[in-house]
Amino acid sequence: MIWVTWRQQRTETLIAGGILVLIAALLLPTGITMAHAYHHDGLAACLGTNPSFSCHVAIGGFQSRFQPLFSLLNWFTLIPGLIGVVLAAPFVHELENGTYRLAWTQSITRRRWIAIKLAVPIAAAILIAAVLIVLTTWWRAPFVHLNGRMETGTYDSEGTVVFGYTLFALALALAIGVVWRRAVAAITIAFVGYFIARIFVDTWLRDRLVAPLKATWKASSAQPADLAHARVISELGTGPGISFKTGSGPLGSHAAHIAIPRGLGQGPATMHAVYQPPSHFWPLQGFETGIFVGVALLLIAFAAWWTHERTA
Amino acid sequence: MNEHPALQAAGLGKRYGSKWALEDCTLEIPAGSVTALVGPNGAGKTTLLQLAVGLSEPTTGTVRVLGHSPRDEAVSVLPKIGFVAQEHPLYRGFSIKETLKLGQKLNPSWDDRVALDRIERLGLPLRQKVGTLSGGQQAQVALTLALAKRPQLLFLDEPVASLDPLARREFMQSVMEVVSDTGMTVVLSSHIVADLERVCDHLVILARAHTQLVGPIDEIVAGHRLLVGPRADSAAIARMHDVIRESHTERQTTLLVRANGHVYDSSWQVLEVDLEEIVLAYLGYGSDRGAAHAAAREAVAR
Amino acid sequence: MIEFHLDSRSGVPTYLQLVQQVKQSLRLGILQPGDQLPTVKEVVGSLAINPNTVLKAYRELDLDGLVEGRRGQGTFVSSDLPPVPPDDVKALRTSLQRWIERARAAGLDEDNMSALFADTVRPPAVSRVA
Repeated sequence: MIWVTWRQQRTETLIAGGILVLIAALLLPTGITMAHAYHHDGLAACLGTNPSFSCHVAIGGFQSRFQPLFSLLNWFTLIPGLIGVVLAAPFVHELENGTYRLAWTQSITRRRWIAIKLAVPIAAAILIAAVLIVLTTWWRAPFVHLNGRMETGTYDSEGTVVFGYTLFALALALAIGVVWRRAVAAITIAFVGYFIARIFVDTWLRDRLVAPLKATWKASSAQPADLAHARVISELGTGPGISFKTGSGPLGSHAAHIAIPRGLGQGPATMHAVYQPPSHFWPLQGFETGIFVGVALLLIAFAAWWTHERTA
Repeated sequence: MNEHPALQAAGLGKRYGSKWALEDCTLEIPAGSVTALVGPNGAGKTTLLQLAVGLSEPTTGTVRVLGHSPRDEAVSVLPKIGFVAQEHPLYRGFSIKETLKLGQKLNPSWDDRVALDRIERLGLPLRQKVGTLSGGQQAQVALTLALAKRPQLLFLDEPVASLDPLARREFMQSVMEVVSDTGMTVVLSSHIVADLERVCDHLVILARAHTQLVGPIDEIVAGHRLLVGPRADSAAIARMHDVIRESHTERQTTLLVRANGHVYDSSWQVLEVDLEEIVLAYLGYGSDRGAAHAAAREAVAR
Repeated sequence: MIEFHLDSRSGVPTYLQLVQQVKQSLRLGILQPGDQLPTVKEVVGSLAINPNTVLKAYRELDLDGLVEGRRGQGTFVSSDLPPVPPDDVKALRTSLQRWIERARAAGLDEDNMSALFADTVRPPAVSRVA
């Protein structure tokens, strides 16, 4: 049965693997370049609370050189979804073109067939997600040194959430596919569903999983230490003079470097910020992973049940 | 061959939503017979076959195949039965060789020699992808998968419906050869009535989710007669025999009856009827009072 | 070895067609005593018919004394069909010629005569409801 499953899923697994290889091909050369530039410019020494002027220049130069590439990589957060739905295709395909009837009237039980046919894409999803995490973590390392990993683009690809995303996309495509039995339609809708779920979680749910911190400080003094590599949800300047507010969005948010305009009246007297500090990284990852994996398991259980009981 | 019927159904029924696809089906199919399951599309043939191989679960009643429940005791039943589903599903991307390997991996009773012999006799290259074969060749590969298990009972769901006449003939030749060799029981469903008598010795007629007639073909043909006579009422005949179909012209009445004994009424010309006519009559064609007869028949014909 | 063929439109039961073809072959001398008839499997494989039908035909020929089954070997022709005595043939032909003249005088053409003969020689006719 394992051979049969592998042989039948061969194409889709190779596609998923191909996507992975493509990504690696893109990331490896650029990643090496970035790491090299990072060390060459001596940026490691520039981390700390009081960078020198030359460090500012070096950091600025590094960032302006690689920022476009970095922003592009934020779209890679869709890759786990893509891979997840592609891995679901063989199972749905079996139901679509009736070949499951061939398998179920050999000598194998329905239960065993379902178990193995689901176990293989699940295992593949976990494996591919692991490779993605390792690749992107390595690639982003210079940026993470500079800006931390709380920014949405980095946060999405460096922790356990990637497992959750991939499994969720796989499970959603399976659940839709066993009921609807059209592979192309099911994976398309599942991908859209993944996209919507991600936006919902990124923009609304994430900051309700672990309560963000609030800080207030005088504009004239230094900002709180853990604001440095944090993800700022909102920022407000109050007091005489100009008030302004900065915020951050789901894709391409910037770390909190507050620019205080000089020479425009007195400027704000007090700063207020709502933010997620770096120490919240693993708690946030844990909750988000748990939610996605939990929903994924429910959907997979549904798909298995539906196939076992309601399919003839 | 053992004495037990190959298939037994008792009060078997299957409902999808509010619609009954098969209702109150009770029949026995003897071991070693070649049984035709005949009826129009939607009559319940595929449903009955799916219940018999354990693909679906009965809503009411029971079905036993070779003495066991195909759904609950699948591990006992599946190795002994072969099934070729409608449209003979196969993995189109697999080569013939890989398809046979699938059969071997999934069946403890697989006989690779049988499979390879058949493919060789059919002249099909092992490396060829199934998707590139013709319809008739695909049907033969699907049949090989079923036959290499050396099944005691072979189920075929509309096996030849989409095949050209030559492919059709070759398919049935293969099946009949195995029957003559091993005494395998065959149940094949078809909505094509012609040519049934050639191959089958038993008949199950299904229409509107009910069995209309079940029995050996010899007896069925011997037991039905066509009565032709001047225009008359069928009541007198109906007292003694079952009138399956009646039709009238201005001058003439024609009755197709299931005779309970000899027809003594000399006002009728008594003719034999061939199987195709009998089947069509039970399916409701050519009758002036088709629906009424259908109801009466259901009570009588089992 | 003879080859069977089937006329599925003739209305004659399959097994009977096989019986008739064996008898015809015997009459024409194609089959001689000692010749083997095709095995059940061969017939089934070429005609795609139910094996029981072949068995039934061979059984009937056996009962007629024309063939015998040898265990493990097959079915073999055991005797010739008794030939029709030539004198009988001559007498039959003469009375047939007279019958034909009478029928023609009564207004029957060839087709009418054939229909009348077919209807009378085969009891009871199989109906073809058009």
